[in-house]
Amino acid sequence: MAVIDIIIVVAFLVITFLVGSFFYKWVGDPDDFYVAGRKLTPFILAAVITATNVNLYSFVGQAGIAYQHGISILWQTWTGNMALVFSGLFIIPIMRRLRIRTVPEFLEKRYNRKVRLLVGFLWVFRLAFWLGVVLYTAVVAAQAITGIESYVFWIFAFAVVAIIYTMLGGMWSVAFTDVMQFVFMLGGALVVLPLSMAAVGWMPGLIEKLPEFSLTLVRETGTYNWKFILAIFLLGIEWASVDQGLLQRAFGAESTRTVAKGMVLAGIVTTPFALLWNLPGLAASVLYPGLENPDQAIPMLLSKMVPPVILGFVVCGLISSQLSTISGNLNGVATLFTNDIYENLKKRKATNKEVLFIARLMTFLVGLFMIFFAFFIPMMGGAVEAYLTIIGIMDMPLFIVGIFYGLLWKKATSAGAILGYLSGALAGVIGKFVYMFDFNLTTFISAGVALLVLPIVSYFTKSESEVKLNSVWKAKTTSEEEEKAGQIYNIIPKSNRGKLSLTVYLSGVLIFIGGVISGSSGWPFASLVAVVGMVIYFAGGYLKAVND
Amino acid sequence: MYFDWITWSIWLIGLIIMIVWIYVPIKEFRKLLQDRKQMDQSDS
Repeated sequence: MAVIDIIIVVAFLVITFLVGSFFYKWVGDPDDFYVAGRKLTPFILAAVITATNVNLYSFVGQAGIAYQHGISILWQTWTGNMALVFSGLFIIPIMRRLRIRTVPEFLEKRYNRKVRLLVGFLWVFRLAFWLGVVLYTAVVAAQAITGIESYVFWIFAFAVVAIIYTMLGGMWSVAFTDVMQFVFMLGGALVVLPLSMAAVGWMPGLIEKLPEFSLTLVRETGTYNWKFILAIFLLGIEWASVDQGLLQRAFGAESTRTVAKGMVLAGIVTTPFALLWNLPGLAASVLYPGLENPDQAIPMLLSKMVPPVILGFVVCGLISSQLSTISGNLNGVATLFTNDIYENLKKRKATNKEVLFIARLMTFLVGLFMIFFAFFIPMMGGAVEAYLTIIGIMDMPLFIVGIFYGLLWKKATSAGAILGYLSGALAGVIGKFVYMFDFNLTTFISAGVALLVLPIVSYFTKSESEVKLNSVWKAKTTSEEEEKAGQIYNIIPKSNRGKLSLTVYLSGVLIFIGGVISGSSGWPFASLVAVVGMVIYFAGGYLKAVND
Repeated sequence: MYFDWITWSIWLIGLIIMIVWIYVPIKEFRKLLQDRKQMDQSDS
């Protein structure tokens, strides 16, 4: 990387820091810090959600998988986008109506304080661990792309800037730096796509030089085959329904309908966007075949093909993708600790000033923990695998307990939730560490056990009070805020236009699943049908978000 | 000269998204800033 590129990167970091710090004055109370005063508009929300979801894993890791296994890895992003739409239309509006800030807070509203404390405590560690992995992978990728080997420089670039501006401006800083970073990310990808495609002879050259399976979206065989698409779609729904980093941004929406619109927009926007980093991954497999580590594909492409100055801006785009993920999750951990643990364990009500101080202190401390942890990951080995295991063990039982039973079955009790969550997680731990099951099976077991234990325990324990249950069940239909504003978002549509939108949406689901399953027989049109189904799904989702 | 419609269509969609996401958030930020100034004035 040339000196001019380094100057561009440093200037970008300074600007990001200044933009983030500008919002210090906007934070007057905890709601400003946690959820940007619940004033985020659909476009800002969509950019914020997209920036959080797209990180260096997308640009380097996923493109690396495209390099090795072909284009079918695209479904990881596409089904995630479909899950965002599902969650935005049906799940998050309920939580937004309850005016909560965290998922554990929802658990207290649905179950009791003990469930909230347990999950809040466990999730502080889960998110802090994730942050360490994110920082480590960012540093390693940046070293490879730029040739700057200094670990301390990259730690500074990624962590210190994000920690300080998140600490000062909370979600306001996170939101507006996310918007800026989203534009940089997109700009970087727009530079790399034509350069890499021109080098392989554009699309005809790519088709001619790659084996057929590399360009098949729904594959009959291989690691990323049709079964993978269905499994990752289900996991995506779980992720889009309980991930604190994601949900906290959605809770910042100015209204329930904004949540639906923002999440649907985020899902639709990231769909073509995903091609911008996966196609260069395919091009790299033609240009630099036989790389031992596929994660080197994009760094190599950048270092060999992108000229100075432009490289500086592309690297800013890559740094952006990681800064937004780090800042959002830092804010998430600070919120979880302050909102779910500190405020709950204190005997007297904390003042706004005190809560803000603790939230900022936590952002700083978790930031330090992230840096410390990132230094140790090289010695631990397999951190990403460990992270995937944690998702299987901790996230899936939470989805079953909080969303599946919590929203659908009134008889689910607090004791059932605690034992269901703990037994599901424990079964996952045993499956993973005693029987050495893979990630898919571990996830299936932890979900299955939680699914079985909760109803059994609930059957023998006392149901929650009707008042408590009614407040959650009422949120499925409306809220005082919406009634006052005269803008009710109907999860189950009432108008004909709304019903038609839902029909289009459901048709999309069926066509998509049909296309994916037909891929099991190697039907040549399976990919086309699945993509058409996805497009109809998005169209129906968008219509449902804006109608009724 | 060969023109790759597929690649450039994807690129164009990306460009449009980028332009929209520069224009609309700036507009919305200005509105938020205005609201905040009004709020500050009414507070003082």
